[in-house]
Amino acid sequence: METPFAFITSPPTPTRSPSITIHNSHCLPSSQIINMPPMLPDFSNSVKLKYVKLGYQYLVNHIITLTLVPIMLGVSIEILRLGPQEILNLWNSLHFNLVQILCSAFLIIFVATVYFMSKPRTIYLVDYACFKPPVTCRVPFATFMEHSRLILKNNPKSVEFQMRILERSGLGEETCLPPAIHYIPPKPTMEAARGEAELVIFSAMDSLFKKTGLKPKDIDILIVNCSLFSPTPSLSAMVINKYKLRSNIKSFNLSGMGCSAGLISIDLARDLLQVHPNSNAVVVSTEIITPNYYQGNERAMLLPNCLFRMGGAAILLSNRRSERRRAKYRLVHVVRTHKGADDKAYRCVFEEEDKEGKVGISLSKDLMAIAGEALKSNITTMGPLVLPASEQLLFLLTLIGRKIFNPKWKPYIPDFKQAFEHFCIHAGGRAVIDELQKNLQLSTEHVEASRMTLHRFGNTSSSSLWYELNYIESKGRMKKGDRVWQIAFGSGFKCNSAVWKCNKTIKTPIDGPWTDCIDRYPVHIPEIVKL
Amino acid sequence: MATNNDNNNIVSYICKRTVVSTKPIEPGKYMTFSVLDRCMEKNHIRMVYYYQSSSTSLGEGEFGKMTKNLKETLSEMLNYYPMVTGRLVRDSEEKWKVKCNDAGVRVVEAKAKGSVEEWLKNVDSEKEHMLVYWEDMYHKPYYWSTFYVQITEFEEGGLAIGLSCFHLLADYTSATNFLKAWSDISLGNKITVLPLFHPLPSTRKRISNHHPYFELINHYKSSIERPIPIKEEKYTIISLGFSHQMVNACISKAQFNGPSGPITMTPFEALAGLFWASISNIKGLQNGLIDMSICLDARKVLGLDYGFFGNTMIYNKVHSNGNLEGNIFVQATRYIGEVVAKMDNEGIMDLIEWLEKNEMNSPKMINGPDLICVSLENVDPYLSVFQDWLKPLRVSCYIEPVLGEGQVLILPGTPEEGPLSRVVMVTLKEDEAIKLFEDDLISQFSPTIFMKC
Repeated sequence: METPFAFITSPPTPTRSPSITIHNSHCLPSSQIINMPPMLPDFSNSVKLKYVKLGYQYLVNHIITLTLVPIMLGVSIEILRLGPQEILNLWNSLHFNLVQILCSAFLIIFVATVYFMSKPRTIYLVDYACFKPPVTCRVPFATFMEHSRLILKNNPKSVEFQMRILERSGLGEETCLPPAIHYIPPKPTMEAARGEAELVIFSAMDSLFKKTGLKPKDIDILIVNCSLFSPTPSLSAMVINKYKLRSNIKSFNLSGMGCSAGLISIDLARDLLQVHPNSNAVVVSTEIITPNYYQGNERAMLLPNCLFRMGGAAILLSNRRSERRRAKYRLVHVVRTHKGADDKAYRCVFEEEDKEGKVGISLSKDLMAIAGEALKSNITTMGPLVLPASEQLLFLLTLIGRKIFNPKWKPYIPDFKQAFEHFCIHAGGRAVIDELQKNLQLSTEHVEASRMTLHRFGNTSSSSLWYELNYIESKGRMKKGDRVWQIAFGSGFKCNSAVWKCNKTIKTPIDGPWTDCIDRYPVHIPEIVKL
Repeated sequence: MATNNDNNNIVSYICKRTVVSTKPIEPGKYMTFSVLDRCMEKNHIRMVYYYQSSSTSLGEGEFGKMTKNLKETLSEMLNYYPMVTGRLVRDSEEKWKVKCNDAGVRVVEAKAKGSVEEWLKNVDSEKEHMLVYWEDMYHKPYYWSTFYVQITEFEEGGLAIGLSCFHLLADYTSATNFLKAWSDISLGNKITVLPLFHPLPSTRKRISNHHPYFELINHYKSSIERPIPIKEEKYTIISLGFSHQMVNACISKAQFNGPSGPITMTPFEALAGLFWASISNIKGLQNGLIDMSICLDARKVLGLDYGFFGNTMIYNKVHSNGNLEGNIFVQATRYIGEVVAKMDNEGIMDLIEWLEKNEMNSPKMINGPDLICVSLENVDPYLSVFQDWLKPLRVSCYIEPVLGEGQVLILPGTPEEGPLSRVVMVTLKEDEAIKLFEDDLISQFSPTIFMKC
């Protein structure tokens, strides 16, 4: 699918990641451009330019240190030259009186107080737990196709379509569907949906309590997000009832907000934790599949059946200073972008009834294009917050250059790999991950967490980011100081991202969802699995 | 006899689903069938096991929980049976083979009114068929499950597990071991009789310097040439239980003096002879015996482990010589004994060799128009004990379809009755079955009637 993915508001250009040689030659000052002899092999070219690029980055990123050091040196040399007597004379010549001194002191104290008061509280992610589905809920490809064939017996074309989707989906043979969907025909009753919600949410919460030693009575804020199942009383009330939480708890239930609702909940928790000091917030992200299994024939609506799977996560956030030591991550930024103002974006993931009156979620054909647009907006806001000065300068220079000198210059795509060590891209589908990998120029290892989560757990909607994070931890790649970027897309159309900074090097988890299978990963996922 | 309406109300189906193994299978595995498997292509087996719970504490909330536990343990057990979870495909020679694609087995959940004891007091074959689910092969066999499990919980206590399978894949011994493996896993133990998937003993290295056992081969040859009967008769199945003492009495009655002393029959030979004589009488033959074939499990004879998964049932015709005089029962038993003795390793290997050479003409339906007496005594189904449940109260078995004179299945009885006790399930036309109850030959051994017409 052609995806216009320009990073500057100019006519969309097809995305072809420019090679290092070409775009560097546009961005560096011309004095540094060597007339590249065309006979030199590409390798040597790129190595030379790599070092030039590194030098430039170091220069710009540490510009303050680099300018400060000579100044300090100069001042100290000057002082030494003057000698102690001269300095004393200089000091005596300054006439201070008491008022001036007091005023200056107060000013300094005032400024310091205002600074510390207005600094936002640090939000710590103490720990999180992902739901591990029971093995009896496993759905191999053959079983899925067989059920599909038995249920849609009058529509072999729809069955064919589902098979083609499944072949190319990037899912594995161990993804799980809730028990009610295993029946022929599926039995999506409300009772079954509640049953699934209880299974997923309570398992995740029990696991979280065990890991963190949190007592239910200590939860001050509870946010549950589940897009497609919203009973009365809400799922958050269900949690409060089960664990006997306090009566003055601040509970919220977010529904209808799509796969990016997980990060919206995190954002909400963050805002609440700014207002309430010394508090714990528990965020539960899940998607209940049972009531939403589409039983009709409309192709655009059959797609979610093939991709969505059971999953959930419970996260403990806190602003208590005491959690500083044991917290895994610190929340740095949350950036939310909503493209709902555009009609096409609004309608691209739409729940509606098909011709036979069956309700399903219809995905439009321009989904990838709209996702690209949303990502672009999000990155435009995110870039200045996270990119190092060198990248921002390059971006600025290219922007100025395109506007003033020559609009034909290739737009500079900032290198986000310098801002983050790990990427968690919502495992919405193989196409989403492929597109983002191409456009952010990520390596295979960067998107490994996303691809492997899609393979092992399928698209678990808002909780997939947490499975991906757990994958990275299980592989032992998370070190202190590493920065993680979580990106999620959702209906609306929304693109939300969160940036976390790792607070302490994380030991391989012993009780996560990946524990029993991490050694088998990464696996090679073929383009098409022959069914 | 209960009407259809009554029957419909007693057992209600809850749902149907597919249960898969817990570990994914490596794709690309196939399993082929042996010549003996292919003889059973037109048949399927149904078995029902009845259980009473071990504790009375299984109350209200437990309903459905037992089924859940059973499904979980079934999942685990299926890891050892990749052939069962696969699907049938045709190979290049248009013969069946199994693609191990991890699709799973169908499981049907049902519930029944009353308790299991009440049910067993007045059960008939029609009612019992409601406890074991079966679907005939679809137009597209790739989506057709070859094994079906039905779990029926009785509202006032008790459980019935129905297992049905395509005979091409498994015979009675394999199906019984399948259930035994499931029960082992449910108790948290390892499987005692692990399934073995390998071809039959090879016929290649045989030195054929003896006369092949032609009679057996001829029986199979005639089955190929005979067209499959399309009778639309209504059969009924009755079940009679013979206690240890009664079987002993039967054996001693069948005893005769051979050249080297008295020859004692096995329970199968004695009972098969008994029913052969009795049924021949009922069908109107005063001094003769109708056509009959016996069927034996050849695992032991072929030197195979009981875990061998597949078909090793061998059918052989027992000839009777026209008009008989004297005690028909004793003579019937003698004929059977002679044929059983001839079905030794050499004889069966001759048959396998012949079948392999004549692949194209494999018999499609081996149990033809004769009366068939099948020995199913080699495995003990009462060993299958599930967690929270006691030993099976009763085990029934059906090998379908029956298209000839009738069928006599001889199964082991409950262990409490003694090692020689047997349960005999007879398939006959309805009017003949009624006469069987009144037949003196049978009633002299005072069998317990488990299932009436």
